Amino acid sequence: MFQAFRRLKELGVLSMNSRNADYIMAGNPRSLFPLVDNKVETKALAEKYDIPTPNLYYLVEHQGSIGQVSEKLSGISQFAVKPARGSGGNGILLIKGKTDEGFLTQSGRVITQAEFDYHLSTILAGVYSLEGLEDKAMIEALIHADPVFHEVAYQGVPDERVVVYRGVPVMAMVRLPTKASDGKANLHKGAIGVGIQLDRGLTMSGVHHTNLITRHPDTGNPLKNIQIPYWEKILLMAARVTEMTGLTYIGADFVLDRELGPVLLELNARPGLAIQLANQGGLRRRLEIIDRAPEEIFQTPESRVAWARETFGK
Amino acid sequence: MKRPALFLALLLFSLAALIMGYRFLKLGYPLFPMAPGQVWQLEIEADMDPGSGESQLTMGLPFPRRGNFILEESVTSGSYSFNLVTQGPNRVGTWSGAGKEENQEFHYRAVIASVPKRTTPDQPPKEGEYALKATREALAAFADLFPTRRNGTPKHRLERVLDFFKREKESSSSSSPAIQKFVEWEKRYGRTETLLILLDAAGLTARPVQGLRLEEGIQTKPVQWIEVWIGRAWESLNPETGEWIKNPALLLPLAVGDLPVVKTNNAKLTDLRWTIHRQVVRQWKLLFERIVRSNQFLNRWSLFHLPENFQQTFRILLLVPVGALMISILRNIFGFPTFGIFMPVLMALAFRSTGLLFGIGMFAGILLIGYLARRSLDRVHLLLVPRMSVMLTLVICCFTFLALLGNKLGQREFMAVGLIPFVILTMTIERFFVVIEEDGLRRALITSAGSTAVSVIAYLVLQWERLQILFFVYPELMLAVAALQVLIGRYTGYRLSELFRFRNLKRAS
Repeated sequence: MFQAFRRLKELGVLSMNSRNADYIMAGNPRSLFPLVDNKVETKALAEKYDIPTPNLYYLVEHQGSIGQVSEKLSGISQFAVKPARGSGGNGILLIKGKTDEGFLTQSGRVITQAEFDYHLSTILAGVYSLEGLEDKAMIEALIHADPVFHEVAYQGVPDERVVVYRGVPVMAMVRLPTKASDGKANLHKGAIGVGIQLDRGLTMSGVHHTNLITRHPDTGNPLKNIQIPYWEKILLMAARVTEMTGLTYIGADFVLDRELGPVLLELNARPGLAIQLANQGGLRRRLEIIDRAPEEIFQTPESRVAWARETFGK
Repeated sequence: MKRPALFLALLLFSLAALIMGYRFLKLGYPLFPMAPGQVWQLEIEADMDPGSGESQLTMGLPFPRRGNFILEESVTSGSYSFNLVTQGPNRVGTWSGAGKEENQEFHYRAVIASVPKRTTPDQPPKEGEYALKATREALAAFADLFPTRRNGTPKHRLERVLDFFKREKESSSSSSPAIQKFVEWEKRYGRTETLLILLDAAGLTARPVQGLRLEEGIQTKPVQWIEVWIGRAWESLNPETGEWIKNPALLLPLAVGDLPVVKTNNAKLTDLRWTIHRQVVRQWKLLFERIVRSNQFLNRWSLFHLPENFQQTFRILLLVPVGALMISILRNIFGFPTFGIFMPVLMALAFRSTGLLFGIGMFAGILLIGYLARRSLDRVHLLLVPRMSVMLTLVICCFTFLALLGNKLGQREFMAVGLIPFVILTMTIERFFVVIEEDGLRRALITSAGSTAVSVIAYLVLQWERLQILFFVYPELMLAVAALQVLIGRYTGYRLSELFRFRNLKRAS
């Protein structure tokens, strides 16, 4: 057992306790959490820092505004409805078209106008918000996934998670939905995490729950050596997130849109540890290297990204 | 960042040590206040079918002696009258009445403290008090064995009897005429009686005693032993083995001499049982009478000054921080997953009244019902607060049903369901549902198992009597517990569960 302890230590694996105490509590002041927990605030901030996010068509703030939604969405047939404070992908409704009876969802179901209005109403009442507080409903542009992951994603939209520490990208992975994860890109629901080589943006092997895999369990296609498009751009956007939020240790989630390229989907002030399995390497080792890095590399997002690619690339 | 935590922990530790040190050295507290003595509650329940006319129940009751004190006693006699008389060392209670055809119930309750160290001197036997009628014949029979009947100390003579007894056991039907005689008498009079004759022949005063074993539980038959006067005190002898009873303080005599333990007159005994419980708080009270009377500041502020029922509460309450410490350890060092942070401690508290098995069973049952209800409720799309209210109502409904069921079946544990923290149970149902929805059934079951394990561990800690006493006497130990909690709060190493989680991480980065 002590051997196992030592091995993890040698690998530089970051533990849950250490993440919480040494990085989140030490570097992420609680007062800044609303910036990432509330997607409306994240979006507003990202706009200021020129980080693209899905276009916000309309923000439903009050029950009374539900009636105006159709008017505001005139001419738009594809969109996504999200609770501003939702988590784990709950309460999200993806609409890909309109029919005579109502709205056509991504999964092919048709919901009536009344059902749609009711859904908005429950979001506003806070059914999907973590603390059960009143919430707002965001109506955003629908993301059309870039076909790059077409072979290795089962439905849904894959996303890229980049862990950023003091503005330096530390580690990255692609999260691929599976049949088991119901098209969602959440690892604990059964999505796959695939590590990304930080310098070139090439995928490596993946992790499914705690098992290492090289092929997608549903499609059977190899996970390795997929080139992530716009890799440099994604890293730069991730690096800028620190200046944007003031949080020291953060996870930034991007999606690749067919037309828009990478957009910031959401930020996470408590990014999980599974990324270490996907990358077959410890976060702690890299975090410690960053803490020993010379001052000058922290000056601009570009310098930080360049340093990270050189230092952590493989 | 690590230093201030260490400093805080040290501060708390030394504060606890300081107060405890003061208690040891200045106030003379015991280092380990786990009292050697015991306090027992004896309950006698007797059911009797009286015949027509006058009927009577006579019963041997405990009497004070050899470090057994009777602290209080009470009797219910119904329409019968109750009389208590002292006969020699015995106290005999008599219930008598007439004209009652139906079944009569009698209760007797006593609280008995046994403090082995505070021995009161035994009353010596009066001349001829326990003399046997068969003495002359016995004398003749065993004369060879004890040529020096009136010589030597009683102890010495007793040794010889025991020696003989041992030989008799080893060679059951062997040559010696004395042994043959013994075997013959044993057949005629029974073992105890024969041993008494033998002791008498050896010139020793001995008496048969019937009584109870002082141990938790219900006894329906008294045990019998023999007491021998050896000059200053009565020594107890086990007639079956012929050996000393090493710890006679664990025996509670009810009838000494030829008195029967129970006797009825014109009535039939239908049920008789002696129930013995240990009582702890009273025991502390005895030990710490001193504290209560003392004028020292810390003594005046001792928890022993609280009324007894509040003391009971604090006995448990003081261990709750220990339970929280356990949870911190199990979660942050072992990586046990639990629903909520303190849910296991609250469950552990509830288990105290429901019992472990019933507690877990009822909790799991209601959780399952609640989960099914929550699932169907999900389709109705209720808002959070009213939805939780519905679940709370369901939980209370389940409680009510269980309590009624318990009453019908005579299962007290079901009726204690009301002590399960219902708010926590409601929250747990919600958490259970969310975990199943978000992380899957497997995760939910693992978390349930983790929660159960932690509650059981916390329950065992809370029930640990020695720990209760220790914390009650030294409440400053809570500071030490807080110190440990601070230290765990700064443990940033791997959880044991993470060794498993990252087991597949092989290559160095």
